[in-house]
Amino acid sequence: MSREHKEYRSKTRIYADILNSLLAHGGKSGPTHILLGANLSHDRLMKHLKQLIELGLICEEAESTEKIFKLTDKGRTFIIEFVKVEKFADAFGISI
Amino acid sequence: MIHPQDRKVIQTISHPGENLSPQLLALLVFIMEIVSSFISILVGYQASKGYKASSAKGFLFLYMGFMVLGVGIFLRAITAVFFVLAIRTTETLPSSLVSLSNVAGIIFTVTQLGAYSLFTVTYAFQARSLGQRDLEVVGTVAAAVFPIARLFYIPALELLAISMLGFVTVSSLTHWLHQKTLASALVFIGFGFMLFSHLLFLFMIFDEVLLFFGQLVQLAGFMCLLIMLAKVNRTRV
Repeated sequence: MSREHKEYRSKTRIYADILNSLLAHGGKSGPTHILLGANLSHDRLMKHLKQLIELGLICEEAESTEKIFKLTDKGRTFIIEFVKVEKFADAFGISI
Repeated sequence: MIHPQDRKVIQTISHPGENLSPQLLALLVFIMEIVSSFISILVGYQASKGYKASSAKGFLFLYMGFMVLGVGIFLRAITAVFFVLAIRTTETLPSSLVSLSNVAGIIFTVTQLGAYSLFTVTYAFQARSLGQRDLEVVGTVAAAVFPIARLFYIPALELLAISMLGFVTVSSLTHWLHQKTLASALVFIGFGFMLFSHLLFLFMIFDEVLLFFGQLVQLAGFMCLLIMLAKVNRTRV
């Protein structure tokens, strides 16, 4: 009997998914689009967004009634570095 | 007993009055080892960045493996130069120097085995974490098949290195067949060249020129890893 492997996303991977979701929307977006792009629940998303703001990878802007999150330069650098790490991991068959 | 690789170096360098070609070959071997160690350390550094970013255990094993390998090769190249210079200043080879050469040779072999063990653990750990039992079995069988031929002269530790590298090479081949990316192909070819180089080192006692070709093939393996690194670091978003 084989066990199904449940895919686990690391924190770094979740951060990358959130930032990529922002990048896909021109570098800024509201929480709804990020939620769909990163495939997270609302509570977890808000928790991670707060952490990303503290890390300086995104910043928060107020636009009319909705909160908008914007990718910082540091965030863009993180995405580039993460893609490199991902490709390196893929070359050796390591999952991250 | 002097390690075969050291014996070759000592023979070619300690007779400066003879044909320069063997000395040129030994110099080339030294340069190739230095370049190989540098590339190995570079790959280890990239793996350390990956571990820092993701905390994935595979990166940690790769980092430690490539660092141990790179430092081991570097120290071996440097100590070989030391022994050569020491031999040139003496008329006869003192037994203490021979003993020291043996110890250095063993240390080098052990660092290589340590590095290859870490590579083996990387792939075995990865196969297990993904539930790929068949990959573990394939790799283990492949590793067992490699040292089947019994030779007149068997450096047991060299065979152990070949077994481990066999597992790593087969694992990286399986991964490439699955992923079909250039980077994974380069990793497979790189490990494949390293495996082949050890086979050449193994047969070096029959023809010493195989030492040179073994180093050349080993360098080719590291160059593949360097090309992979360059490709990965050229990534733009």
